[in-house]
Amino acid sequence: MPSSERLSRFQLARLILIQEIRGLLAAPALWIMLIIVSLLVGYSFIQAVELFSQASRTAKSFPELASGMNPMEGIFVPTFGAYYLTETLLLPFVAIRIIGLDKQSGALKLLLQLRLPPLSLCGIKLAAMGIVWLLSLLPALLVLVFWHHLGGHIYPPEIAVLFAGHGLYSLAVVTIAMFAATISDSLPTAAMICLAVTLGSWVLDFAAGGQSGALEILGSLSLTGMLRQFEGGLLSTTLIAAFLSLSLLFFLLTAIWLHPGRRSAFKLRNSLMVLLALGGLLAGASLAPRYVDLTENRKHSFNPADARALRQLDKTLTITIHLDPQDSRFLDLEHDLLAKLKRCVPKLELHYAATGSTGLFSAAKIDNYGLIEYEYNGRQDQSYSNSQNEILSIIYHLAGMRVTSEPVPIYRGYPLVADARSNRWWFYLILPLFFLGIGIPGCRGKW
Amino acid sequence: MKHFRGTHSQAEGMIQKQPARGLRIDRINKTFGTYRVLTDISFTVVHGEILGLIGPNGAGKSTLLECITGLLPVESGTVGWEDENLSRQRRQQLLWYQPDNILPFAGQRVAATLSFFRRAHGASEADLEQLVDGLDLSPMLNKPLQALSKGYRRRVLLAIALLSRQPLLMLDEPFDGFDLKQSLAVMDLLRQCRTGRTMILSIHQLSEAEKICDRFLLLDQGRMMGIGTLDELRRQAGLSPEASLEEVFLAII
Repeated sequence: MPSSERLSRFQLARLILIQEIRGLLAAPALWIMLIIVSLLVGYSFIQAVELFSQASRTAKSFPELASGMNPMEGIFVPTFGAYYLTETLLLPFVAIRIIGLDKQSGALKLLLQLRLPPLSLCGIKLAAMGIVWLLSLLPALLVLVFWHHLGGHIYPPEIAVLFAGHGLYSLAVVTIAMFAATISDSLPTAAMICLAVTLGSWVLDFAAGGQSGALEILGSLSLTGMLRQFEGGLLSTTLIAAFLSLSLLFFLLTAIWLHPGRRSAFKLRNSLMVLLALGGLLAGASLAPRYVDLTENRKHSFNPADARALRQLDKTLTITIHLDPQDSRFLDLEHDLLAKLKRCVPKLELHYAATGSTGLFSAAKIDNYGLIEYEYNGRQDQSYSNSQNEILSIIYHLAGMRVTSEPVPIYRGYPLVADARSNRWWFYLILPLFFLGIGIPGCRGKW
Repeated sequence: MKHFRGTHSQAEGMIQKQPARGLRIDRINKTFGTYRVLTDISFTVVHGEILGLIGPNGAGKSTLLECITGLLPVESGTVGWEDENLSRQRRQQLLWYQPDNILPFAGQRVAATLSFFRRAHGASEADLEQLVDGLDLSPMLNKPLQALSKGYRRRVLLAIALLSRQPLLMLDEPFDGFDLKQSLAVMDLLRQCRTGRTMILSIHQLSEAEKICDRFLLLDQGRMMGIGTLDELRRQAGLSPEASLEEVFLAII
């Protein structure tokens, strides 16, 4: 380099990015996390294959059961559960370091004097964490390879949604951790703040399980609840916007609060503006939601002919349900048919009538318990059926429509009897040793 | 430590085009909550000068340097360079502040850390080699910063500071952690690097300040007690021309 060569901002940003990555690779927390990911992913995968194989034996004898043998639900979602644990409990400790350690060591005071604004500095740190996240995907890639090698079926769009969900969840966790580190005086305090959010989200989702009403809505809006919807294979613009808005919010708050030389009034004013702008953006995105069902069995979609017909309903369709929110029939209806109707029917009104009943086996205190009433364009009908075909027939009858389903490929499932135990050495020994082999020199400052 | 010959050609170039006036601090006030840390601090530093910021621990020296750099907000007051009031962006171009007691990138090898700052500051490899040679850092290059003794850590921090290219260099307690011989060597090094650069050194050891600084700003409990050359301060304190800085300081505060 010639004497006194002044770097461009881009070159400086690249230089700091390399320094940040070097710093992360020197963190024992990262390598411990990667080793734990390997062990957890390996264990989850081997267990999932074992359970899937047990179920597949029956499905192979009774082909009508085979359609339930979905590798996404049987193998990949449980295996990625290990990632959920890691992203919730361990990733914050790695992410907190990228700002917390610089604050603690005084490096931040030097970095803030270089010719980059705090926003760029935060962006660089986030990019460094992105590279670390990609490194953590190594065990997941091995799972795909081994499952394919065992003869298992992989449907790429479903896998892509799953990766996207975990990517967005990790992004949210990392930005929350960065903000926690920015506003905290110490690393333990930042860790407590971040874990309070991630674990709180998990508790909220757990508490909302099987509930309806406000608690269910809150649960679905929690980080865990939003990730769960990705695991289902349904891509929703509202959900993506929610994850991105949340991540962008904490990222911008980090950039605003990072520089100690800014006045509190400036920080508060800008935080409020960011909050309002992102709130507006999210509200806008939720006004016109779009959904893409990327599951192979199209479980979130009606037959294309039904979907087209339901979108053409220009009057308000009112459905009144006389079922207790705890009733399993209600939950089935809510999560399957009503969810699909909400995505297709332009003007849908749902009324949940009070029942006084506490479930299927308790005595109903009203005569019409279980009844579902339909009203469209002044015409009414009612039924006790939960069947999709029957309910759609009632709606079409009320609307005066005749709909003939289109022929669609029948999902026959992918039952597979396999043994993944021979792969355990990869997850329990080779990968951990690989991470140790790279990590130990890094932690000793050899890079 | 060996003799160091700096090559601060860019800083020299900048300084030659500039008139004598340099940094201008005007009525800086700073409080932490209800506690007033700095009260109406105003002074100027001319180009090429070494100003010693003198005061006991807790006098507000580090806070003042951080306020000048923009790392702490001030309640009121301005920081100027020539006739220009400095924005935060301009301060990044003109000032470099090396805080006390920091351990940047502690887990990384000293060579990697120095290389990072060399490239970030746009210094040449020759500059770095000369600094490493001058500060006797060669045996420590492959060790992580956190594994070094306090004295060597100080040398690394000094090297990082001297790699900077900003015309104003502010060092917080640059002699802390050095023995007498090392302090003298560091002073020698700073004298060689002063060509074309203005320096503010925050020092609480008065004997060392007396040896290197051209002028002194005496600070106590966040208030300016005096500013000037040692002779001017002696006259202000009504002391004899032989009085040491320590005596002057004690007489003034």
